[in-house]
Amino acid sequence: MSGEDDGKRFSELVMPHLGDAYALAHWLTGRDTDAEDVVQEACLRAFRALAGFSGGNSRAWTLTIVRHTAYSWLAKNRRQTVVAVDDLEAVERAQPLHGSDAATRPTPETELIAKADAERLTAAIATLPLQFRETLVLRDIQGLDYREIAEVTAVPIGTVMSRLARARRRLIDSIRADET
Amino acid sequence: MTDPANTPTPTDERLLVHAYLDGELDPANALGIERRIEGDPALAAERLEVETLRRALRERVPAKPLPPGLKRRVEAAVGLTQARMRAQPSWRALAASIVLAVIASSGATFLATTFLGAPGDRIAEAIVDDHLRALMAPAPIDVRSTDRHTVKPWFNGRTPQAPRVVDLAQEGFPLVGGRVDVIASTPVPTLVYQHREHIISLSAVIDTAKATPSEERRSIRGYNLVRWRDNGVAYWAISDLGSGDLDAFVRAFRAAPAE
Repeated sequence: MSGEDDGKRFSELVMPHLGDAYALAHWLTGRDTDAEDVVQEACLRAFRALAGFSGGNSRAWTLTIVRHTAYSWLAKNRRQTVVAVDDLEAVERAQPLHGSDAATRPTPETELIAKADAERLTAAIATLPLQFRETLVLRDIQGLDYREIAEVTAVPIGTVMSRLARARRRLIDSIRADET
Repeated sequence: MTDPANTPTPTDERLLVHAYLDGELDPANALGIERRIEGDPALAAERLEVETLRRALRERVPAKPLPPGLKRRVEAAVGLTQARMRAQPSWRALAASIVLAVIASSGATFLATTFLGAPGDRIAEAIVDDHLRALMAPAPIDVRSTDRHTVKPWFNGRTPQAPRVVDLAQEGFPLVGGRVDVIASTPVPTLVYQHREHIISLSAVIDTAKATPSEERRSIRGYNLVRWRDNGVAYWAISDLGSGDLDAFVRAFRAAPAE
C-alpha cells in the first residue's frame, strides 16, 4: 500500500471523526491537554492500523482506538482510576438496580433534572466511574447505538444496557442530592 | 444479540425501559414494556426521569470543541500535510493591525483618560451591564448574520473602528451577529457568538493604556470574563459559559487566521 493511499484512507476513515475522538478522550481523561495527547497518539495508532480496517463502521473503529489509547494513558498516569472500577462494577452487578422512590411525586423530581444546568450536568458526569461514564457519553452525548457501544467498549450488549441504566440512575440521584 | 429478559425481574424491567427509550427494542418487546409502564407507577417514574435526563444531556451538556490546531497537528503527524504549516503570516493581518492602530490613536484618548487609575473595573462593570441588557432585550444583537462579511461592514460609521471578525463555526462557536454597546459615552463594537444556547459577547475596546495585563480572567455576578490585548485593542469576552469553554473560545478567536 502506498503512502498516498494511506493518507487518503486516513482522511476518509479517521479525520471525519476527529471531533468525536477528542470529545471521548476529554470525557475519559478530564483535561484538555491530556485529551489532545491521547487523540494524537490514537491517530498515529489508527494510521498504522489502517490495513486492518475491514470495512464497516469507521466511527466505532476510530473510537475503539481512542478508548484503548485513553486506557493505556490512564493506566500509566492514574493507575487507581482504572482498577477501582472493575471492583465497583462487580459489586453493583450483585445489587438490584434501584429506582427512585419518586412514583408518588414525579413532578418535582423531573423538574430538578430539567433545571440542571450545563455545569452541574458536566460535573455529575465527570464523577461517574470510568466505565459508566464512557457508556453514558457514547450513548447520550455522542449518539452511538447499543451495538456500536458494545463494539467500542468490548463488552456484551447486556453489559452496555446495565452500565447505561446505572450511569443514568447515578446522574439522576446526584442531581437530586445536589439540591437537598 | 442477547435477550435481556428471560426471567423479568424489576431490574430487568428497568433496563428494558431504558432500551425502549433508546429505540433498541423490537416492536413486540416495545409493546410489552409499554403495557408494563402503564400498569406500574415505578416504571412510569423511571421513564419520565430518564426521558428528562436524556433531553437535558442532549440540550445542555456543552460540546468539547476541537482545540484550534489539533486537526493540523494530526494531519502533520501522519504526513498528510508537510508544507504550509507556518505559511503566510499574512500581509493583510499586518495591514489590518496598522489600520486599527491608526484609529486607536484618534479615538482612544477619551477612554484612556476617563478610566485612568482603575481602568479595568469600571469597564468590566459596563461590559457586564451591556451583556445583561442585550440578553434581556428581545434580540441580543442589532445585526443578525452568520457571515462576517456582513457583520464587519455593518459597524462602519457606527463605531470608531470596525472590529476584527472571524468565523469560528468550525470550532463550535458560530457567529450570530453584532451590536453597538456604549461604554463611557463611546460606541464600542460587540460581536455576538453562540455556543450551544449560550451567548458570548465580545467587545473590542480601544485601549492605549500601556499597563494593561496581556490576559486576565475574572467573574462578575456569575458571568465569566476574559480580557486580553491585541494590537492596541482590549478585547472583553463575557458569557455564562464555564471558564473552560470561554477559554476555548478565546483561544480559538486569538488563533484564528486574520480576515
